[in-house]
This record gives sequence, C-alpha cells and structure tokens, in this order.
Amino acid sequence: MGFRSYLIRRLIYTVIVLWVILTFNYILFRVMPGDPEKMILDPNFTPQAKMELRRQFGLDQPPLTQYLNYLKSLVKFDLGLSFSTRRLVWSELRERLPNTIVLFSVAFVGQAALGISLGVASAANRGRFTEKFVVGAGLFAYAVPTFFIQLLLLLAFGYYWPIMPIHGTMSAPPPDGSWARFLDRLWHLILPAGSNILIGFGSWALYTRNTMLEALGQDYIVTARAKGLPRSEVLYHHALRSVLPPIVTLIFMSLPGAVSGAVITESIFSWHGVGRYLLDATLQMDYPAAQGAFYLIALAVIISNLMADIAYGLVDPRIRVGAGAGK
Amino acid sequence: MPGWIRLAAIRFVPRRVRSQVCREEGGRRFMPRKVRLMLGLVLAVAMAIGFMGVPAAAQVQFEAWGPHVDEIIMPIIREQQARRIAFERGESIVWSDLTQPADIDHARTLPYADMRWTLGFHMFYTCFNMRKAPLDSQVLRQAIAHTVDRDNIIRTLFKGYMMPMSSFVPQVSPFFNPDVPTYEYSLEKAAEVLDAAGYKLDPATGTRIDPNTGKPLPDIKLMTPTYEVAATSAEIGKIISESARKVGIPLVHEPTDFNTMLDKIDYHDFDMYCLAWSLSKNPTHLVSFFHSRNDVEAGYNNPGIRNPELDRILDLLDSAPDLATAKEAADAAQLILAREMPYIPLYSRPYIDAFNKTLVTGYVDMAGFGAASYNNPWTLLNIRRVDRNGRPIEGGTIRWALSEEPKNLNYAVASSAYEWEVLNKTADGLIISHPETLEDMPWLAEKWDVGVWEVEPGKQGTVITWYIRKGVKWSDGMPFSGEDVKFTIEFLKNNQVPRYLPNTEHIVKVELVDQYTVKVYFDNVSYWHIYNADLAFLAKHIWEKVEDYRTFEPWNEPHPTIKGYNQVVGTGPFVLKDYVPGEYVRLVKNPNYWRLNPTEL
Repeated sequence: MGFRSYLIRRLIYTVIVLWVILTFNYILFRVMPGDPEKMILDPNFTPQAKMELRRQFGLDQPPLTQYLNYLKSLVKFDLGLSFSTRRLVWSELRERLPNTIVLFSVAFVGQAALGISLGVASAANRGRFTEKFVVGAGLFAYAVPTFFIQLLLLLAFGYYWPIMPIHGTMSAPPPDGSWARFLDRLWHLILPAGSNILIGFGSWALYTRNTMLEALGQDYIVTARAKGLPRSEVLYHHALRSVLPPIVTLIFMSLPGAVSGAVITESIFSWHGVGRYLLDATLQMDYPAAQGAFYLIALAVIISNLMADIAYGLVDPRIRVGAGAGK
Repeated sequence: MPGWIRLAAIRFVPRRVRSQVCREEGGRRFMPRKVRLMLGLVLAVAMAIGFMGVPAAAQVQFEAWGPHVDEIIMPIIREQQARRIAFERGESIVWSDLTQPADIDHARTLPYADMRWTLGFHMFYTCFNMRKAPLDSQVLRQAIAHTVDRDNIIRTLFKGYMMPMSSFVPQVSPFFNPDVPTYEYSLEKAAEVLDAAGYKLDPATGTRIDPNTGKPLPDIKLMTPTYEVAATSAEIGKIISESARKVGIPLVHEPTDFNTMLDKIDYHDFDMYCLAWSLSKNPTHLVSFFHSRNDVEAGYNNPGIRNPELDRILDLLDSAPDLATAKEAADAAQLILAREMPYIPLYSRPYIDAFNKTLVTGYVDMAGFGAASYNNPWTLLNIRRVDRNGRPIEGGTIRWALSEEPKNLNYAVASSAYEWEVLNKTADGLIISHPETLEDMPWLAEKWDVGVWEVEPGKQGTVITWYIRKGVKWSDGMPFSGEDVKFTIEFLKNNQVPRYLPNTEHIVKVELVDQYTVKVYFDNVSYWHIYNADLAFLAKHIWEKVEDYRTFEPWNEPHPTIKGYNQVVGTGPFVLKDYVPGEYVRLVKNPNYWRLNPTEL
C-alpha cells in the first residue's frame, strides 16, 4: 500500500472517530442528572419563566433536532452561546487558549527536557547515586498529588517568603513598556510552570531510563562499545536514537494537553485557561461551553494522533507495509 | 427570639442559664420580651468585646455621597488560600465572606484585621415531603423538629459562627416575625409528642409503630449533598438522622450527587432533604415555597404543602397593596408554617468580612448584605484610604480581590454575583435600602407613588409613578431621564431577557408622562412591583443601536464619542476602565457621578 492510500485511510478513520466522539459528547451531557435551568436557583423564577429559559436555550426541541443542530453548528465551527455567561463559546475559548498553550508549552518542554536528560543520566549510571536519586525523585514527583505541591509552593513563595506572585498571568495592572510586560509575564509563569515541571518530570525520567536500559543491553550497543566509540556517542547516537520513536509518540500523545490545560494548576494559580473553563462548564451543565471545549480537545487529540501516524508512516516504512499486508 | 441574641446566647451564656430565662408553652420555648431586651443589651456589649476580638477601626459616619477613592483595582483570585495570602500581603483590602471557622479564627488573630459581622439572608433547612405517608403527619414532623439540636450543630460544625434559625424568614428581614414558636431540642418532648399521637415504640425493633397502618414506620431517607461536595451539609444530615433514631424514628442519611438530588426534588421523589437558600429582605419567597399553586413540577413548593388558610394569606401577601398588609400577611404565614412545619429552618450564615484597617476605613455594615457585599452601595460610597496614622484620606487606589471571573459585563445578561460585584459599582437604582433598617430610600427616583388602575373591567392592577431625579448623568455625560427608564423596561420585556423575566412578566405598559415622570402599569395588584421596576438601567443612546443584546460585549466595544471609554455606561459611582479576562478589573471614579459633591444636592 502506498503512502497516499495509507493517508486517505487514516483521514477517513479520523473523521469517523471525530463523529463518534461528538455523538458521545452530545449524549453524555444529556443523560447526566441535572438540567441547565436548574442551575438558576432563584425563588422568583416561576415554572413559566423556567420554561421560557428552556425555549431560549433550545432545550424544548426534540433530542434529534437538537443533535442535528449541534452537528451542523460544529461543522461551521459555530460553538454557540454559553448558557451561563451568554457569551460566544468560541470568544471565551479564544481568550483562554493562549494562556493554556504558553503554560503547557513551557511546562511540557521543561518536563521533557529535564526528564529525558535525567533518564539518560540514570541509565548511564546504573546502580550509582545518580540512578537512585533520579528513580527516587521521579517516583516521588510522580506519586505526590499536584495540588499538594502547588499549595506548598504557594505558601512558601507567596506567604512565608513572598517573592512570587500568587495569581494570574500578569500584574494588575501590568507595568508599562513591552520588556517590562514580558518580564512580568515570565515572573508570573515561574510558579505554575515550575511546579508542573517538578511534578511531571518523573514519568519522563522513569520511562526514558527503562527504555534506555533495554537499549543499552542490546548487541549493537556492545558492538559499538567494542569498536571503541566514545561513551557519549554510544549513549546519544546509538542508544538514545533507538529509543526516540516511542518517546516521539509520547510527545505527540501529550500535545492535546496544550488545549485541555491543567485544571488543578489553572485553579490554584488563578490561571485563565481552558482547563478551568471546561470544569466550570461541566459543573454548571453549560452544554454549549462544555461541548465546545470537548470539541476542541477532541480535535487536538485526533490531529495529534494523525500527525503521529503520518510521522510514523514517513519514518518507518514497516508500518505502511504492515497496514497493507493486513488486507 | 431574635437570632443574633440566640447566637450570642450560644457563644456566651451557659445552657443552664438560658433554660432558666426561657419559658415553655406547649412544648415550644418563648423568652419574655423584657428578658430578651435585657439579654440583648448585655450580649451586644459582650459580642462587641468578645466576638470581634480586635478593636474596630474608627468608622466614618456613613454618608450618602462619594466616592472617596479614585480607583479600584480588582485582581481576580479564584483560589481560596491565594485570597487569604493576598489579604495578608496587603494586596487586597478585604478578605470577604468568610465561611470556614478556621479562616475566621485565623483572621481574628491578625492585628490589622477589622472583623465585620452582619446578619444575612441565608437559610439552611431540612425539607419534608408532605405529599406521602408517613411525613404527611404533622405530629411526626413536629417530633422530628424536636430531635434537631441546632445549637449543637452550630457549636460543633461551625464553632458558633452561624445563627440558629426558627422562622421561615431570615431574622434580619423587616418581615421576620419574632413571635414564631421554636421547637426546642428535647428527645423527651419528641417522645412525648409521638406517644400522645399513638406512635408507640416497639421495644423489639426500637422503631415507632405508625398508628395509621399498625406497622413499624418505614425508613425515612434524608438526602444531603455528598461529603465531597458539601461536607458540613452531609454531616448535618448524619447528626439529624442519628438524633431521630434515638426516639424510634427510622431516619436514614443518604448522601446524594447534587444534580441527582435536584432532579429528585423536582420530581418530588424524596422523603427529606437538606439544602440552603439565599433569600432577600422581602418575604415573597414564602409564596414561591409554600403556595399550593407552586406544587407543580419545577415549582418551588417542594414540601408539597397544601393548606387553604395558608394559600389565602399567601395570596394576600403576594397581592398586598401596601407595606402594612404585607407585613401582617407575612407574620400570619410564618405562624401557620411554624405549626405545619414543612421545613425545619436550621441556621442562617452571617456575613463575616475582615478589612485591613491599616489600609482603609469607612466601610459600612449593611444588614442582610455585609460590609463587603456587592449589594452594599454604602461601603462603595464611604470607603477611604488611611494614612500611616490611621486617618482617612481622600483619593488614591484600593485593591479589592474578586473571587471569581466576572465573565460577562453586559447589564442585560450578567447573572452571577461576581458579574454584579463589578457592574453594581457602575450602576444605581431608583431606590436604595437604608443600611441599618433596610427601608427604601429615594435614589435615582426622588419619590414614587403606588396606585391602582383598571386592567380590564373588574380587574385591578398596580401602577407605579416614578419621579426621576433631575441632574443625574450617565458616566459619559449624557443626561439620565425617564426615557432611559421607559426604554430599559420595554427593551427587557420585548426581548424576554431571561434574567429579568420575573421582573417584567406582569408589566403591561410603560408611559412617559414627561421627561422625568414615568408610569409603569402591572396586570395585577402587588406592593412588590416596586422592586420589579427597579432595574439596572440601560443608556438609551448606547443600547438602541445594539443589534443582538445577547452577543453584545459592551466592555470590549469602544465608546462612540469618548476616547478611552467603553460602552459599559451607567449612573453609578465608578466607571469600568479595563477588564482583562482572568486577570483584573479596573474601575475609576465617575467624574459625572451625581453624588460626588454634597453641596450640589
């Protein structure tokens, strides 16, 4: 099977998966207990006023009509009006996406860089202090609850030693001048991104260490060593390279986090992002807002998977051949 | 007994002494008026010294003009601990609406914190489903009421910081009836009431026998939110159930997912549940909660009470032509409800706010709303910065943390308290409540008349004539007049704006008599229509050009004529200058505010 037909098959699968996700997305919110108009608990709201609200929300229409309207609007990328804020869902998401992407990118790059380096270092120093330290710290970081570390950091650097901002992405109001604003944003990024790096590097380090240990036991590594190649070349050019594909997959699979955000981090540091938006929308039975946010996340997951598949197909011809051989 | 006296009684007076000053009547406890007053006086002093913990800052006498600060920066801090840190770092002048006893205790230890404590309109209660056996029995409901130890709940779960509640109208409301009997906590009394009504205890099972069926009472399920969602509500459910079981009433606590609970309540599929309401100074909620016409799906008569005498009184309350009739009806309704016992009112949460007295002074305690509430216009007008010696100074900036994102700053659609926490600083109403008595005072309206008109032959309706104050300007300098009032009411009614549906549903027409006189006609008679016509007004010169009010984002739209302004145009003391979503809101003093200078009044 050629790359083109492989690509077409993947695209068709992608569309089907997207439709299934969107359908589940629609059904799940409606089978959950609770109704959007019940979120308005006001003794002055008469049953008639509640019915009028249902009409304005479009909830008085048959479920199939609602479903078709929902699909039609998503195709046009019209995410509708939020029930709770009465603002366009897309406007609200657009406001929050840059913050989530910045936080996620910095935290992600930091976690991956620190975790992969420490993983390689611990594999190269098996049985020594470095390995014990990395494994211990990695397991601790992996196991400890996110909110606990973040609240401790908030307390330490916001209260006992108050050198860090405790909320938001900028000072209120921000300083004048673009450099001052840039530095102000960086200052606000340190605690949320730093805490995420601290919490997230462990899984990267442990995963890299394990795959590296497996690679370092392979015959070709023994051969490379026997050839007298320098240690760093064996480590980085031979061992690390061979474990890169699964790490690349892991990177792609983590990318949707850039859209979904980190709910806990965003809550603790009052970070105006998508994660918190999704949580609020779900709690308030705000169908358009929650559906819009899930739609965005589903798109991100599917596109990331597609990119991973395409990258694999390009890098590793066996995948294309394997796909064709299955027919 | 007024609730604040009872709270003070819990905190300062031993139980033995309390029981001595109370006399019992038919199983209900009363305290003689003179004793109440004396105790109130003594305890008011005790509270001032004991409860406040720290001496209060020198308060500026509240005035009806201002504001006295130039700018308010409202950083949005959603995390509770971060708000506490912001207060302690001096980054917020107030740590508002404290609810956790640990936070209140901590705030009281801060030397710069001035604790303000005000009764609120909150009500936590237990509801019975009176539609089905065995809770259709008044005696059984009254017996359960006797097993509820409010004082113990407040002491153990809230360290005494809540107000015991016995009536269906909050104590702070002018419509609270102090003569409503309280069902005192007494397991013996509960057993007596049950025995007398034939609910004999079966010694074998420890359960009461229902005299109507001759069988042991079935399990009565008490729904509360889960411990994860509302730990104290769940614990209260557990305490009430355990207490009732001691007298043989098989009450079973059932923590339930909140949305499932709301669904079950809507479909009347419950025995008992615990929840809270945030009420208002007016007793109109009694009509919503207890009139038989609201015993329908999605109606608020959740207990399903159907009492013709009560209906008649509630009809009178709903359509009262004047304040005196309304008060009389509210008093009578509370007495019937105390007998019928569709709810057991448990406690009311007061507003507890900590202000940083080294930064500000002049905040005003407002009954029912607290000193820092968005519903309190007096603090907004009177708050001032202080210098190093604690003396009030004019001007400057204050920082006041917002605990949630305001999200939508459009007057027509803003619905959450956080949105109105911002918008209320930019808007004024036709009338205003006195901070202590909550009596209506003229504000944008100089005066008003309430009359009747003939809607159709044989049917009368209320007509309210508003006399709008001359010289009031919008924040962009345009004059505010009756045309804006008429435009706003018609705009909200014609567009069926959801938030204002209860306000506009009875309005028939609005008539502009002259530039400053507006008549609003309603299709029925009700004193409460005064409040239905008092809205957040929309500037006609801005809003008549709005194509779709639902998607209009006035804070993002530049003002058509004034550079640097947006289209959030109000008549309030401040102007919205910036709103950076997720970060902060910035308000500056309205240079056109009509109460800037007392000499101009």
